Amino acid sequence: MNTKGLKGFISDWRIALLLVLVVLSVIAIYPHFDEEGRLASNLQYGLDLQQGAWLQLDMRAEVVGYTTDRPLEEFISNLSTSLDAEVLQVDANHLEIRKYYSQADLESRFVAAGGQVTSYQQGVSKTTADSVKRVLENKINSLGTKDAKVNTLTGLNNVVRYIRVELAGVDMNQAQEIVGKQGRFEIRIQTTGNQTEHVLSGDAITSVQVPSQEPPGSDNWGVGFTLSESGAAAFRAAAIQYGATADPANHYLLMLLDNETVYSAPLSDDLAGKIQNENVRQLFASTGSGNYGSQQATNLEIHLRAGALPVDVTIAGSGGVSAPLGERYKQMVILAGILALITVGFVIYYRYREPYIVLPMVLINSSEIIILLGFISLIGFQLDLPTIAGLIAVLGTGIDQLVILTDEILHEGKVPSTGLYMKRLTRALSIIVVAAATVVIAMVPLVLMDLSTLKGFAIITIMGVLVGVIVTRPAYGKIIMQVLSK
Amino acid sequence: MGLINYNIEKYSPKQLVIIPLVLLAISLVMLALNFAATGMPVTPGIDFSGGTAVTIFSTDSKEQIQSTFADYPLVDVSEGVNEGKFLKFGSMDDTKYNDLSTLIYQKYPDASINQIGETFGKTLQSQAVLAILFSFIGMALVVFISFRTLVPSAAVVLSAFADMAMTAAAMNFIGIPLSLGTVAALLMLIGYSVDSDILLTNRVLKRQGKLNDKLTGAFHTGIIMTTTTFAAIGAMFLVSWFGSVQIVAEISAVLLIGLVFDVMNTWLTNVGILKWYVLKGGGK
Repeated sequence: MNTKGLKGFISDWRIALLLVLVVLSVIAIYPHFDEEGRLASNLQYGLDLQQGAWLQLDMRAEVVGYTTDRPLEEFISNLSTSLDAEVLQVDANHLEIRKYYSQADLESRFVAAGGQVTSYQQGVSKTTADSVKRVLENKINSLGTKDAKVNTLTGLNNVVRYIRVELAGVDMNQAQEIVGKQGRFEIRIQTTGNQTEHVLSGDAITSVQVPSQEPPGSDNWGVGFTLSESGAAAFRAAAIQYGATADPANHYLLMLLDNETVYSAPLSDDLAGKIQNENVRQLFASTGSGNYGSQQATNLEIHLRAGALPVDVTIAGSGGVSAPLGERYKQMVILAGILALITVGFVIYYRYREPYIVLPMVLINSSEIIILLGFISLIGFQLDLPTIAGLIAVLGTGIDQLVILTDEILHEGKVPSTGLYMKRLTRALSIIVVAAATVVIAMVPLVLMDLSTLKGFAIITIMGVLVGVIVTRPAYGKIIMQVLSK
Repeated sequence: MGLINYNIEKYSPKQLVIIPLVLLAISLVMLALNFAATGMPVTPGIDFSGGTAVTIFSTDSKEQIQSTFADYPLVDVSEGVNEGKFLKFGSMDDTKYNDLSTLIYQKYPDASINQIGETFGKTLQSQAVLAILFSFIGMALVVFISFRTLVPSAAVVLSAFADMAMTAAAMNFIGIPLSLGTVAALLMLIGYSVDSDILLTNRVLKRQGKLNDKLTGAFHTGIIMTTTTFAAIGAMFLVSWFGSVQIVAEISAVLLIGLVFDVMNTWLTNVGILKWYVLKGGGK
């Protein structure tokens, strides 16, 4: 091939796209030597390839479809009392009950409160799941654990039952400790100057509401919370003793989590007057207006809970891999991948006996894997064992389809003219597209269903097929044409 | 490939399909029997039934391990090569489980532990069954839409179904449990199995030429496709088996079994039906 031919070859869009993607992928993977001289890259490994532990938490709550002929607020408050649990409205037809009840149990209590259960599903709403996720993330971050992931597993109907926590670098017992650990929450009151006095601790808070606007619709955000009977009495006694009811502006109330101030504000005049006369259990901490206020309210909610989750959880599953075992697995799968590629090369050579065909095939196949790895590092996806098995399987299908292409074009061993070549290439690509479509369709349920670790496997397989059909197969078609027309 | 000399021409459609149909019937009976015994066509592993799986590398004998964990519901100890040992425990309550994990870390600090609760396993199981069902239906739709003729499409779908059923029966036979990994492998198999079927159908229905030539040509391409895939997966199986990477070994074993059945179902079942269809005049 002369220089002009080479130039024309590279400027063909199929080849150009392939080359650009391979280069971008190598940049994304960023193979380099770290300070200790070991080969490192941007690829992230899942918990079966590095030391770490995972916990799958089952949320003890349910989302229930309902009907009632009572006024909604009355119905919800009836239910809440009868169930001794927080009851939240999810949408017009669904309530979230933040305590575990069996379906039969709930049905009778709904009837007693003046309603009907129309559907029952264990789990929580998406909003609650997000707040569980935030609480867990906060807790893990505050402990300085470096590499943590919290994922909710959403079912098809937007009810979330399971949440998965992955922590790198710890073993399973440590992970359970971290997730179960609660912060120390305290309310203090300003006495004189910078001096403060302890008023009550976190155990006096019996429940924390989700951020809300007070009055509703005003865009003034805050978080409501409820004190226990004794907590309310202690609160009133302290407020009166240190003069917060008489002079709120000079006696701020401070909330501290693990000795750090997370909120500080005076009593409102209204509340100061009320506390002077009686114990107040229901309090509201306002955080300001607009986006800022709403964000602050969200954070405050987590702090008020002091790391406690809005719903009870049990451990549905857990696991962990030690550092040496993870390292061993990593070496094994790398070896498997390389060996697979070499074996494929031998088989192809045995069939075609023509280095000019074998070499492009193996190179195209490797470039496919490089592009996939690049994509994986770019989206920060974790490589785990099933995903790697998926990658090697993609390598298998990839070579299959290159064989289809080659054989279609080389029909009866004759090298075709350009017109015939294009016709055959198109026909071969149409076979490949149908085959690819079936693989994609077969994998879609796994992506949608969130079968924990299999989601990654499915996404990688689909990506592999798409990269193949859109980028590498057309490029291979072009290359093989150049090779054959020589 | 010169070594394989398979003469499709020689056999009538009936002769072609008889062996796979008998095998399919046997497989379905095996699956039904297993369903009656365990409630699932393929015996579920701990991913679905709940329990604890532990991998350790140790020179301790099976008996030593059994006596170490005598107080716990140890169901099975199996040995891989290279001193890998795979322990399976039944379900237990949280306190017992915590004691167990402490004991394991104490005795074998490098162990890998995976535990799945019974209810979580049930959720995964029903999801997995749905996933396989939806995948299969989706695959069938794509095949029907792309060929738009009943018999050839049905032949592809039947071959894929036979692949899965026979592989599943073989899993029971060999003792590979249904896990998240092997479900993924079965789904992957849907993709592999239709690859060669689509090639075959496409060649026979859309190309000019004599039927037998087209069949022979398709067979040549198809068999090299399956051989390369087999080689790639075979390498993965060997490495993971010697390295005691259990999940990868199971995934590749299922794929290998499936590929063997795929060769049979493509070049006997599918070819048989397609040949019958073309001979009675359907291909024109």
